[in-house]
Amino acid sequence: MAALKDVSFDIPERQICGFIGPNGAGKTTLFSLITGAVRPSAGKVHLRGKDITGMNAASLVKRGVARTHQVVRPFKAMTVVENVQVAVHYGRRAVTRTSAAREHAMESLKLVGLDRKANSLASAISLGEQKRLEVARALATAPELLLLDEICGGLTGAETRAMLELLHRIREGGTTIMYVEHDMKAIMSVCDRITVLNFGQKLAEGKPEDIQNDQSVIEAYLGKSSFGSEKRA
Amino acid sequence: MNLSSAAGRVKSTLPWLLLIALAVWPSTNPSPNAVRLLFITAVWTTTSLAWNLVGGLAGQVSFGFAVFYGLGSYAAAVMINSGRSPLFAFAGAAAIAALASFFVGLPTFRLRGPYFAIATIGVGEAVRVVMNNLDSTGGASGYRIMEKGAFRQIEHYYYALGLVALAVVIASIVKNSKFGLALRAIKQDQEAAAAVGVNPYFCKLWVHAIAAALTGVAGAVHARYAAFIYPGSEFAFQTSISILLMPVIGGIGTIWGAVLGGVIFGIVEEEFVVRFPNIHLLLYGALLMLIILFEPDGLVGLMRRTMRLLKRWFWSKREDSGSPDADKVLWGRGSVEGRKL
Repeated sequence: MAALKDVSFDIPERQICGFIGPNGAGKTTLFSLITGAVRPSAGKVHLRGKDITGMNAASLVKRGVARTHQVVRPFKAMTVVENVQVAVHYGRRAVTRTSAAREHAMESLKLVGLDRKANSLASAISLGEQKRLEVARALATAPELLLLDEICGGLTGAETRAMLELLHRIREGGTTIMYVEHDMKAIMSVCDRITVLNFGQKLAEGKPEDIQNDQSVIEAYLGKSSFGSEKRA
Repeated sequence: MNLSSAAGRVKSTLPWLLLIALAVWPSTNPSPNAVRLLFITAVWTTTSLAWNLVGGLAGQVSFGFAVFYGLGSYAAAVMINSGRSPLFAFAGAAAIAALASFFVGLPTFRLRGPYFAIATIGVGEAVRVVMNNLDSTGGASGYRIMEKGAFRQIEHYYYALGLVALAVVIASIVKNSKFGLALRAIKQDQEAAAAVGVNPYFCKLWVHAIAAALTGVAGAVHARYAAFIYPGSEFAFQTSISILLMPVIGGIGTIWGAVLGGVIFGIVEEEFVVRFPNIHLLLYGALLMLIILFEPDGLVGLMRRTMRLLKRWFWSKREDSGSPDADKVLWGRGSVEGRKL
C-alpha cells in the first residue's frame, strides 16, 4: 500500500505552487516527505540539485526550507515576539545578540501585521493571529522555500484574504512557496501553478485556469458541476 | 517614581546585597552549626539551580542527578587524595560530571517525557550499584578523603558561597541568552522548535552538561567538607529526589524559585531532620501535594499571586482592564505574572 506513487514535480523559483486533492489524496504525506518527517521508500527530494531526502527539520531550515503547521504550534508560554526571535536566532540568519534578533523578529511581525501584539502571550491571541504567527516564525528563518500546510484552514473570509495578500508579498520578497491547501478558492486565487493529487497519484498540473476547466479534476475533486461548494471535512 | 522600575532595581541589586551580606557574615563570629547550615544550603541550592536548567527551563524531568553529584564527589575525593589542590579537584569534578552527562544524555534524550524520566532512574541505580562494587574507591564501605593541614570551616563556607554565586550567574546567563530561549521553546513544543532550526537533541545535551558540571562541583565541595563519602549516600535515589524537589517547591523554571527551594530544603533537611527524624518526609509530601494541586509555579508563583492580590486590594477601584497597555497606564506596572508587558 503506497500513499504516494510516481508523483514527480518541480517547484520553480519565486512562484507559488499549490497542491490540492480530496481527503486522502496524499497531500499531507507529500508534505511530510519533503519536511523529513517521513522517509520515502523510493524517490528523492532535491533542493537546487542537492539531495535533501529525509533530512531533519533543523538541517532543512539551515538549507533554506521552512514550514508552517496545519494545526498551529505556537510556543504558548512565550510572547509573540519571543516566538519569532527563536527563529531569527536559529534560522539561516543565525543572529547571536538578543537585541538584534528582537529587531529582526519585529520586522517579520510587521510584515504579517502582528507587531502590535508583539508582547502578548502566544496563547492569548486569536487563531487567525496564531496562523499569521506561524508564517512570521517560518519567515524569520529567512527561507528560500516556504512550505505552507493549510494556512487558511479555519480562517474567516476577511482573514483568508489578508493571508493570501500576505503570500503575494512574501513571493515578491523573493521566497518560493509550496502551498498545500484544502480551500479551493484560496488556492485558485493565489497560485501560479497547481498540482492536483488523487489517490496518491498526480492527476493534473498546470495554471489555475487550466485546472479549473480540467474535466477529470472537476469530477475527482469537486464532484460534477458543483465547483467551490464542496463540503469541507 | 515609577513602581515597576523601582521593583526592577530592587530585583537586580538584591542578589548582590545578599551575596555581600553572606560574605561578611562570618566576621560576626557565628556558631559552627550556623556556618554548617549555610554551607549545606549553598551546596543544595547549587544543585537546585542546576537541575532547574534541565528540568525547569528545558522541561526534561530527570531523576538521575545523583549520578553527577556522586561522580563529582568521588572524582574530587580521588584527586585530593593524590595531592591536588581543592580548586583543581573541583574543576576535575566538573569535567568528569559533564563527561558523564553525555554518556547519560546520548541515549536518554532520544526518549520523551515520562520515558526519559524512567530511563534516568535506571541510569542512577546502575551507577550506584557499580560504585558499590568498585574496589578502588572502597566499594559500599566508602572512601575517606585525607587532606593535609587543619580543617577550616570558613574556607569550605566560602567555596560553597562562591559556587552558588557562580551557579546563579550561569543560570541567569543561560536563561537570558538565545540558548535559553531555545530551551524554553523545546519545553513547549519540540517539533515546532525543530521547525525553526533549533536542534533539540544538541540543546538538551549541552544544558545537561552545564547542569551536570555544576552538580558535580556541588558534590565535590560537599565531599571535601564531609571527608568521607559512600555510594549509599552520594548516589542514593533520595539524593536525586531531593535535587528535583527543591526547584519544584520553589518555583520551576525561575532562578529565584530554585534558590528559594534550595534554602527551604537546606534548612528543613538540617534542622527538622535532627529534631523530628521522620516528620520531614511527611512535610515534603504535604508540601508537594499542595504545590501540585494549588500552585504549580511553586512558592514564587504563590508570592506573585499574593503580591497581585495585595496590589489589587490597595488599588481596589482600578480594575484590571485585561489590556496590557491600559494596565501599564493605570497601574504603572511593567509585568504580570513575571511576564513583561
